[in-house]
Amino acid sequence: MTKELLKGNVAFAEAAVRYGLQAYFGYPITPQSEALEHLSERMIDEGRVFLQAESEVAAINMVYGAACAGVRVMTSTSGPGFSLMAEGFSYIAGSEVPVVAVNMMRGGPGLGNIQPSQSDYFFMTKSAGHGDFHPIVLAPANVQELIDMMGLAFDLAEKYRTLVFVAGDGALGQMMESAELPPMQPVRTERPDWAVTGNAGRESRVITSLYLDPDQLEKLNLHLQRKLALIKKNEIRWQEYQTEDADLLLIAYGTVGRTCLSVMREARQQGLKVGLLRPQTLWPFAEARITELAGQVRGILVAEMSAGQMLEDVERAAQGKVPIRFHGRMGGIMPMVDEILADVGKLAEEVGVGSRE
Amino acid sequence: MAKGFVVIDVDRCKGCGLCTNVCPANILALSRDAFNAKGYHPVVVTDVEKCIGCASCARICPDVVFTVYRQKRQTQRTNVQAAAAAVPVV
Repeated sequence: MTKELLKGNVAFAEAAVRYGLQAYFGYPITPQSEALEHLSERMIDEGRVFLQAESEVAAINMVYGAACAGVRVMTSTSGPGFSLMAEGFSYIAGSEVPVVAVNMMRGGPGLGNIQPSQSDYFFMTKSAGHGDFHPIVLAPANVQELIDMMGLAFDLAEKYRTLVFVAGDGALGQMMESAELPPMQPVRTERPDWAVTGNAGRESRVITSLYLDPDQLEKLNLHLQRKLALIKKNEIRWQEYQTEDADLLLIAYGTVGRTCLSVMREARQQGLKVGLLRPQTLWPFAEARITELAGQVRGILVAEMSAGQMLEDVERAAQGKVPIRFHGRMGGIMPMVDEILADVGKLAEEVGVGSRE
Repeated sequence: MAKGFVVIDVDRCKGCGLCTNVCPANILALSRDAFNAKGYHPVVVTDVEKCIGCASCARICPDVVFTVYRQKRQTQRTNVQAAAAAVPVV
């Protein structure tokens, strides 16, 4: 295989095609539109389904329908479009059908702007729609990881019959860098044994999220909670960099996680023992590991392109063991290495660790 | 006359600013008020006369926004000669 220079949006779209995507429904929105542009050509070439819906509300309901029919299906959008899809997400969660949705987060709230942001963290991990559920949320930090996570997203969605979000941001979607695409995989021909495929010669199958009887609905909820607990047990993913001897811990995901890798290296050059934990799944979250590390390090710095959303999960996981500080930029501004590094310096001073020791 | 000039495909620009960092003549900047079709502030040339036609912008640009034209040396000389010839000797 060879590396190619790929734009994030094109990369995840092509990766999806190669991972056997059978149907795509979506509506263009910057900074994610290149995905639709790419798929509008590729899916048709491959004889698969591509449809630009009249809105994101329509798109997610088409996705829901296709998922019920047991085909590998996805959509992609950015903040405002994601908000529109919330109703569909809830129906999909209640119906337990596998769906992958990519959100290239942009500055919000409202129409906001088209620059990168991570301010949909709460929305994606905690409240993607009404009702008790969590989607699995994957957070790639570079184009290669974005490609790889598309395969993972489909696998997890189908394994658990659940909703999987891929949480990118405007920078990741627009960024061009060299990456390797997977080989073309055959499209799955058989349908799962729960899919609605026409009941000729067998009993009808019903997929619904409507349970008028409270007993039945509670039963469904208990089942969903057991499933979520299983996901929490099996699917927490993160990456650690130089945490073994760390006095200070950086925690950041996605694009900022990548920025923090540079912060960590520069801080180390200045003699500060800094480590980095980069969550690759935002839900389920690397809570246990952060609790553990909070007992080892003297201070934690969380960096995000938001007002501090993942910060709350870190605070919960750290259980008050160490001081936690936060560096956040909003409105489409990306934090630079220097400014995060300055906050690392302040934290080092505050907790009394440093090169002078 | 400038040694080169660039043509900017405005609607391809995503405003990443890479070109503004590599331009040795320091004549590229992101527009402060104009938006392109995608909604980004596109790159603009602030002083066309200072372009040296080095194509650094075209090399760094991930989105193929730039086309760079370079003044041929010979043409330059010819132009100078032509200009000199055109000046009336008083």
